[in-house]
Amino acid sequence: MSNIELSDIDRTAIGAEGGPSSRSSEVARAPASAKSKLGARGLQLLSWLAPVVLVVVWDWLAQAGFLSPHVLPAPSKVIRTAFKLATTGTLLNDLGVSLLRAASGFVIGTAVGATLGILVGFSRIAEAAIDRSVQMIRAIPFLAVLPLVIVWLGVGETQKIFLVALGVTFPIYINTVLGIRQVDPKLLELGRVQGLNSVQLIRRIILPGALPSILTGVRYALATAWLALVVAETIGAQSGIGFLAMDAREFLRTDVIVLTIVIYALIGVAADGIARFLERRLLAWHPNYGAAR
Amino acid sequence: MNAHVASLSPASFETGPAVVVSNLLRSYGNRVVIERLNLRIERGEFVALLGESGCGKTTLLRALAGLDAIQGGRIVAPRRPAVVFQEHRLLPWDSLWRNVALGLQTPDARERAAEALTEVGLGDRLDDWPRNLSGGQAQRVALARALVQQPELLLLDEPFAALDALTRIRMHELVANHQPGVLLVTHDVDEAIALADRILVMRNGAIAYEHRVARGSSTPISRSELLGELGVNSHSSH
Repeated sequence: MSNIELSDIDRTAIGAEGGPSSRSSEVARAPASAKSKLGARGLQLLSWLAPVVLVVVWDWLAQAGFLSPHVLPAPSKVIRTAFKLATTGTLLNDLGVSLLRAASGFVIGTAVGATLGILVGFSRIAEAAIDRSVQMIRAIPFLAVLPLVIVWLGVGETQKIFLVALGVTFPIYINTVLGIRQVDPKLLELGRVQGLNSVQLIRRIILPGALPSILTGVRYALATAWLALVVAETIGAQSGIGFLAMDAREFLRTDVIVLTIVIYALIGVAADGIARFLERRLLAWHPNYGAAR
Repeated sequence: MNAHVASLSPASFETGPAVVVSNLLRSYGNRVVIERLNLRIERGEFVALLGESGCGKTTLLRALAGLDAIQGGRIVAPRRPAVVFQEHRLLPWDSLWRNVALGLQTPDARERAAEALTEVGLGDRLDDWPRNLSGGQAQRVALARALVQQPELLLLDEPFAALDALTRIRMHELVANHQPGVLLVTHDVDEAIALADRILVMRNGAIAYEHRVARGSSTPISRSELLGELGVNSHSSH
């Protein structure tokens, strides 16, 4: 996942420098695929059919007894479990608890990351004072500090929110600094020619120019927040999706475990969808994001 | 950069020249780009500045715009000049009218921007994005953004390159109607002849040749004479 996200950052960086370049590569690729135009629809169909077949085969293998329910439950069983837990169990409550943890950590991490990023982006002094330390801390895989966080904060809500915030801070920080720094100097010059003062320069030119990069950071941070939550909830939680999974492990309820995995995946997809929606709304002017008129 | 663009006294505000440059020195480190350059542009006067690339044309324009520090001499202008750059430099995240209104502090900014956009023939696209414009249209918006400031000095750095001949002439008329002093940097001799009241040729960081175009005169300036002035290794003794 981190590789995919990194290449997203690259694409944004290129897009901001010279928007058309990423476009032209798409155009350049078009003639090659045009050859298989007859099969294009078929390939599209196949790409959706393949996972469906996979699930059907899995279900059949499980129903027929080739797959032990202790290894993998049948998908149909997972769906039935989902309904049962949602109606009679604590699934919705656990989901709410998890979402609240993720949201709190995300807001705190974004506030810290954006504040530091704006400081460093605008001030060389702040960069000298802050950036190296932040980069050093960033070099630590943030999950590695989990034992230390547990010593500090125990295994309560604070520990979980802290871990999410920690994971969110760095992508927001890095992309905010990057975004501010890569604002076209020619546009800044134009701002001076038009007589803008510093505040107007920031509001009209620097922040809008940095926004594509900042939103890429938001998208990456959403993914990190989710990852942090999964890890944090796996340890000593009394509620939440992670608690549900660990509780199910005690009773070898693989159907519940698979259900929690699927829920994590779905919420990850939803978070990405929100980020994409924000990009389309806020970057309507941008040739790489906005809807074509 | 401090205080090299001084203000004229209020008395001369209405009638004085658009800009007076005396004894200008501009250098990058040890390399002198402009030396002992003198220039005076009146309001309403259209001056074209020709020269080989690298002769210091754009450096002079940037110095007049107050974008670069100067190392000697004086530039006296009544107000902040407006600039149209070689590239349109529109803010991609702002609609056309917001682009034109950039820097306007008045409450009627939108109306004034709309007026300026109408003047350049884009009055029906106030809320459009810059990315939906052609190169020539974008350049016209950049011109509107400069004119809406009602400048007394307008600096143009080859802004008409993207325009077709007809639009070019219309834009020139438009500029003339606003009556600023204009300095047009160009490498296009025909454009200079067609548009300017006065043609300057810059060489080795100074103005080497000057020609006043008599409007309505039956003997237009000789194109070959100008081309000669622009020629490499010219031996003329200006």
